[in-house]
Amino acid sequence: MSLTARNASCLVIDRLCDQAREGDFAVAWLYCDYNIRQEQAAINMMGAIVTQLIRGGIPNEIREAFQEAERAGARRPLLEDLMRMLRIAITKLPQAFICVDALDECLPGDLPRLLESLRDIIREFPRTRVFLTGRPHVGQAVRKYFDRAVEIPISPNKDDIRNYVVMRLDRDEMPEAMDNSLRDDIVRIILDKMSNMYVGVPPLLAVDTY
Amino acid sequence: MAQTTYKKSITFGDSNVNCPITMGSYNTTVYNSDEDAKIMGWLSPLEPDNRHHSVRTNRCEGVGNWLLETREFQEWRGGEGGADEAVLFCSGDPGVGKTHLT
Repeated sequence: MSLTARNASCLVIDRLCDQAREGDFAVAWLYCDYNIRQEQAAINMMGAIVTQLIRGGIPNEIREAFQEAERAGARRPLLEDLMRMLRIAITKLPQAFICVDALDECLPGDLPRLLESLRDIIREFPRTRVFLTGRPHVGQAVRKYFDRAVEIPISPNKDDIRNYVVMRLDRDEMPEAMDNSLRDDIVRIILDKMSNMYVGVPPLLAVDTY
Repeated sequence: MAQTTYKKSITFGDSNVNCPITMGSYNTTVYNSDEDAKIMGWLSPLEPDNRHHSVRTNRCEGVGNWLLETREFQEWRGGEGGADEAVLFCSGDPGVGKTHLT
C-alpha cells in the first residue's frame, strides 16, 4: 500500500511508540472514522487521549473523580472534566505526543472543539507535540488554531506505488498463471497509468464543508 | 408472586487485560484492579489500540519511511522548542493509494 495520510499516522505512531520504550514520553492517538463519527464526539476523543496517557498508572485525582461520579449515579464526564483530567495526566509526564488521524472524518461540529482543546493544552504545556492528518481542506481549520503548524503534503510517490503493486502480485492466488514478463508488464503499465493520474491533479477537493 | 433475583450480570474479567501493544513504562497499560478497567471505560468508549492494530496489519512495511526522514518530522519529533513548533500536519487523502490501487 502506498503512503496515504492514514498510513502516515500509523507510521508515525509506530515510530513514536518504538522510541517511547526508551524515551521519557507517552503517546496517545486517535483514528477518526466517518463510519463511527457519532461515537467519536469530541468528548469521547479527549477521553481516549486521557486513557492512553495514564497507561502507566491511574492518577489518584482521576480515580477520585470516577468514584465520585459513581456515587452520583454513574455520571459521565463532561468535556471540561476530561480536559481537567488530561491536564492532570500531562502534568505527571515528562512529555506527551498526541496523534489524530483524519480530522476531516470528525463531525464538523466536533472538529473546532477538538482543535481548541488541543490548542489550550499546547499553550499550557508547550512541550506537548501534536501530529495531525486530514484531507487538504481541513488545513484551513488547522491553521486557524495553529498558525505556526508545519504542513507536509502526502501523495504517493512511484516507489510507494511500485512496492504496493509488487506486494499484491506476490500475494496472487494463482502465481503460475503469470510469467515474469507479464508481471513486469503489469508493474510498468500500472506505474504509467498512475503517473498520468497524478499529473495535474487539481488542489485536491478544495471544497470547504463547514 | 414470582420472585426476582438480581444478580450481578456484568463482570470485567480478570485483570490480565490483553493489550496488543506493549511499550515502555508510560505506554504499558497496567490494570491493577477491575476498577482500573472501569475507569478506562468511563473515560471513553473508544478503543484506539484496536484501530491502530488493524491499520497496522494492512500497512505495507517500509512504505513511506521517507516521511520519518524529512527535516520537518525530525524537527517536530526532537523539538525542544515551545508551543510554536508543536504541531505537524500531514495533508492528503487517507485512501489515496488504496482507493486507486485496489
